[in-house]
Amino acid sequence: MSKGCGKLDESGAAEIRSDGTYPVKLNKIINLFESLPEDERRETLVSYADNAKKQEPREGENFNLVDVRKDEECMDTVGVYLHVDENGKAHIRMTLGPEVQTLTRAMTAVLCKGLEGCTPQEILDLPSDFVTRIVGAELIRIRSQTIYYVLTRIKSICKVYLDRQRMAQVA
Amino acid sequence: MATHPTQYAHPEALVETDWLEKHLKDEGIRIVESNEDVLLYDTGHIPGAVHIDWRADLQDPVIRDYITPEKFAELCSRNGITPETTCIFYGDKANWWACYALWAFRLFGHEKVKILNGGRDKWKAEQRPMTRDVPKYPKANYPMPKKRFDKEIRAFADEALAQSKADKPLIDVRSPGEYKGEITHMPEYPQEGVLRGGHIPKAKSMPWKTATKDDATFKPASELAKIYFDQCGVKPDTDTVVYCRIGERSSHTWFVLTYLLGLDNVRNYDGSWTEWGNKVGAPIEKGA
Repeated sequence: MSKGCGKLDESGAAEIRSDGTYPVKLNKIINLFESLPEDERRETLVSYADNAKKQEPREGENFNLVDVRKDEECMDTVGVYLHVDENGKAHIRMTLGPEVQTLTRAMTAVLCKGLEGCTPQEILDLPSDFVTRIVGAELIRIRSQTIYYVLTRIKSICKVYLDRQRMAQVA
Repeated sequence: MATHPTQYAHPEALVETDWLEKHLKDEGIRIVESNEDVLLYDTGHIPGAVHIDWRADLQDPVIRDYITPEKFAELCSRNGITPETTCIFYGDKANWWACYALWAFRLFGHEKVKILNGGRDKWKAEQRPMTRDVPKYPKANYPMPKKRFDKEIRAFADEALAQSKADKPLIDVRSPGEYKGEITHMPEYPQEGVLRGGHIPKAKSMPWKTATKDDATFKPASELAKIYFDQCGVKPDTDTVVYCRIGERSSHTWFVLTYLLGLDNVRNYDGSWTEWGNKVGAPIEKGA
């Protein structure tokens, strides 16, 4: 059995949605950002970006799926590592190349923490409208659209995982 | 006949990283960081540098245009900049946005402008000092510029079309793939909402990066002259228009032509391909 790459909440409530839309952990992060004035929002985003490195795979961790690639429309390589534990909960790790922008780094840390313990299906069903609530309209612009890319990549690996699960069940 | 200078026309428009580190606290200068990465300044910057955001600070928040002269005066005043202040611009992406900010400052007539050769990446690679401390400068009283120099250094779509029809120098500084119409986005970037690919008829392709060395510093004047005078057909006595997608890469080329090669009749078509590639009826050429 593979070693898990993360832990669930003690209450096991990570996967329960507080408002019918977002996972509890992500919702807490959203609420935090929405309560901050603009300058503190920026500081907090930078703080999350500083922590993006902590979302990388750790020694001894095993994963069900690994997707490391550099897409044509992205500045650098992004790696997504998915471990689904025996309870069906997803644990995401990510690696980012040095050219990846600060906002994208921040969003990586937000998503890895906020989606910890959700099921792959819950991640797949997650709407993307929370991104602007975290980042704020001021920082969303054409050249920072790659912040959505991280979520897309996480959803993509979850979709592949679920598709394989379904195929295995059919077989 | 093409001229081939052996030195930059305005060498004073560039400062080197070594010089800047020794003059960080000089009176009369203001170091200005301008980046594509909207949070990069917050992660660390050159000590004493202020942040000017190309979008939030320099562009009108509603219509696609630059701020008013009044807003420019406010921007400078709150950063402790007067008309006598020498602004030294630097930033990420080989100084694209630094050149864009410099060009915007020139749009409002601010004359004392310089670029940090090699930009932020070179400064960082050389392990020069960085800080997260945001400096506070006494508020200045920048007088409201009497005009914006749109006519002199900025081109609009109809002027780019006129340039094309007159067969005057028109330089497309985007990547070859964008120029040929093979892709409608910048390599390594997401789509920016352009409906058509290709280039303005008769535009010559000369990617902005051709003007720089691997460390993002500018090539010597003689090499720049060969690139732009010989290969692009730029002439000192004929006006030139440069463009890219939204005007930042072409600001880099505008700086090269204006300050390093000394041409005084170069205009930046900042509407660029995100305007032209969406404009109904705008003629487009595809291929090399």
